[in-house]
Amino acid sequence: MEITGMTAATMSNTEVPVSSLDERIKFFQNEPQSALATQEYFVNMGPQHPSTHGVLRLVLKMDGETVREIIPVLGYVHRGMEKKAEYIGYRQQVHLTDRLDYLCALMNNWVMADAVERAMKIELNDRILTLRTIFAELQRIQSHQLWWGVFGMDLGAFTPFLYGFRDREKITAIFEDTMGARLTMNYIQPGGLMYDIHPEFPRKVKDFLKYFKPILNEYDELFTGNVIVHQRLKGIGILDGKTAISVGASGPVLRASGVSYDLRKSDPYGVYSKTQFEVPVGTTGDCWDRYIVRMQEMRESIRIVEQLIDNIPEGPTMVMKFGAKIRIPEGIYYNQMETARGILGVMLVADGTEKPYRLHFRTPNFNNLWSVISMAKGLRLADLVAILSSVDIVVPDIDR
Amino acid sequence: MNRTELLSTVLSLSTEFSPREKTDRPAVLAPVQGLTDLMLKLRDHSELSFDMLTVATAIDWIKEGKIELVYILISSTFKHSLQVGALLDREKPVAPSLSSVWAIAEWQEREIFDLFGVRYLNHPDLRRLLLEDDWNGHPLRKDYVDDFMLERPWR
Amino acid sequence: MGLINSQNAPMIEAFPGGPAFLTTIDTVINWARSNSLWPLTFGTSCCAIEVMMAAGAANHDLARFGAEVARASPRQADLLVLAGTIVKRMGPTLQTLYAQMAEPKYVIATGACAISGGPFIYQSYSTVRGAHELIPVDVIVPGCPPRPEAFFYGLLTLQKMIREGESIRRPGERRKPVLAALPPGITIDQIRQELILNLEEKSVTKPLNEHAKMENLTWKI
Repeated sequence: MEITGMTAATMSNTEVPVSSLDERIKFFQNEPQSALATQEYFVNMGPQHPSTHGVLRLVLKMDGETVREIIPVLGYVHRGMEKKAEYIGYRQQVHLTDRLDYLCALMNNWVMADAVERAMKIELNDRILTLRTIFAELQRIQSHQLWWGVFGMDLGAFTPFLYGFRDREKITAIFEDTMGARLTMNYIQPGGLMYDIHPEFPRKVKDFLKYFKPILNEYDELFTGNVIVHQRLKGIGILDGKTAISVGASGPVLRASGVSYDLRKSDPYGVYSKTQFEVPVGTTGDCWDRYIVRMQEMRESIRIVEQLIDNIPEGPTMVMKFGAKIRIPEGIYYNQMETARGILGVMLVADGTEKPYRLHFRTPNFNNLWSVISMAKGLRLADLVAILSSVDIVVPDIDR
Repeated sequence: MNRTELLSTVLSLSTEFSPREKTDRPAVLAPVQGLTDLMLKLRDHSELSFDMLTVATAIDWIKEGKIELVYILISSTFKHSLQVGALLDREKPVAPSLSSVWAIAEWQEREIFDLFGVRYLNHPDLRRLLLEDDWNGHPLRKDYVDDFMLERPWR
Repeated sequence: MGLINSQNAPMIEAFPGGPAFLTTIDTVINWARSNSLWPLTFGTSCCAIEVMMAAGAANHDLARFGAEVARASPRQADLLVLAGTIVKRMGPTLQTLYAQMAEPKYVIATGACAISGGPFIYQSYSTVRGAHELIPVDVIVPGCPPRPEAFFYGLLTLQKMIREGESIRRPGERRKPVLAALPPGITIDQIRQELILNLEEKSVTKPLNEHAKMENLTWKI
């Protein structure tokens, strides 16, 4: 490549051109029109749009009802989290992670807490690890319940939304007993857990699992077997494994494309290595596969919780002195975990003080959104909505 | 492959790699010139096969006057990971684009350009990702100043 | 009720029994308005899950308060629930949305971010410090995020405000939300005095001064 012979003279800033959104739209406008000479036009989808799941803006180049080109415009909820992180201590970072992907807040807490613990070389006891694993799996079920409800709503069925939320509230109530919060918990702290669990917690979880297992079959009867759902999902938005890997997609999106890559199996953390569970994998990578993979994941999560809930080991729930100032030795630390949407990574650059020199969140939705663009070209606008929903986008996670 | 084996394989691949200290993962430093070729080697090597670019970000080392690009690569077949760093001049940060190697690099580089001001050569669509096109400055640089930003008034 | 409006209200008032008639009309209109709020589906981040989705779904059921008809188009909505962080880039869009909504329109700001910037008030280069800098806000519901019940309290406060506040004679003039939310027999001055006494006791007046300074800062999008 010509970059190899790059000299200092060519490395001046002014010679690298910078584009803008208007230029990008013009770039697609100037393309020659199709042979049928239909009128191509641009449609602005979002930022306020019910099926972009937040404030995602897509500029679509349309040919009739067919999507020709997608220009995503991000940043409508870019809060400058990485800048903020440079001003606050390590213990406070956990509170920021809650607000990234709020649907799996506990798992986000865990990534941050684990990154700090690994850097400080803190050994945790089995009770903390087991409880964290149980909470993470409950949160995965909760997140997928909400996804199922919203997925149904995006496809035009309102009942799944009501069903999904009815069951989601049950897990929310369990969390609330222990943590006192419903959505943003800040519960998993560096060095352990904020409080011990509620005495009724194991019984309530068992009650919930007993209740929810037949409900999952009801979900299937209501939605999975529906012929409209089949026709809306099968063969729509095919993402092959190679593309999925090259765009760094992760979580159910990657696994539906036939790549069995789950950090819980390949790089076990918590007590996942002691539990038995399968990693559901799809074959073609269409919306239908992503749907089935998520439904299976809920069943596997139930399996994991069932194995752990009966024998939670005894011990303290905090191994560090609470309120102690954390100073991480100089270096770059990277830690990643499997959240409900894929791999969430935290890159910590420590300089030996109480605050990080730089903190970077590698968020799953960022990469998953990119995969949408390759999937939706050439499909109808209504299919784009189904694809966006099947990928399960959370916009604050992309924008940070 | 364990850490030492991985590092020795990577270091034997090209003399331009040098090991990087103070990281928790196997890490190397690479020169900016020819970064694309080196990354292609890492991606296509049969024993390494780093086919996923998980993290691409930058660190502003303001005291040294450098911007470090950090790439964390993961292999979906062997499940090992490697951190590759490249140091740029802080005043005129120009780097080759990796979007021909990994498709996602296109967006990650747009983000780095947005927040750090690193310009990429041969980038298909270099514009800001998260902020408006007419934003002044690059916020994640350590010396970024903004009239709008408030300091915490106490403590 | 296009027949009786602010233009002909003084005319009707001049007739014997006119004022009483207008007041009755006011009551009827305000009753109808307060019980048929149509929210706009607008959620930027975390609060949207609690305030728009969980509140509207099976367990909490927003329909009990007559505000369940969430509309995706601002032209059909008259209640804007600000659920989540507003950043500078979203500002113009938010103002457009507000301008497009049908009159009379009401705004509830939920959660710390929409009220003041919340966790991102300091050291953030993009977060707007409170939606009231962009559009008028009627009711605020604190929390991060607020529970659905808290949102219901905010909604009921707004309903109370609508019922007591507006008149055909002075359209757009509303009772202050904080007054509508107060328990009977307590005035806003009592609360203010108590707060100042409390702060002086704990000698945290320095932050107060800083906040006063901050209020004078101006910025534009």
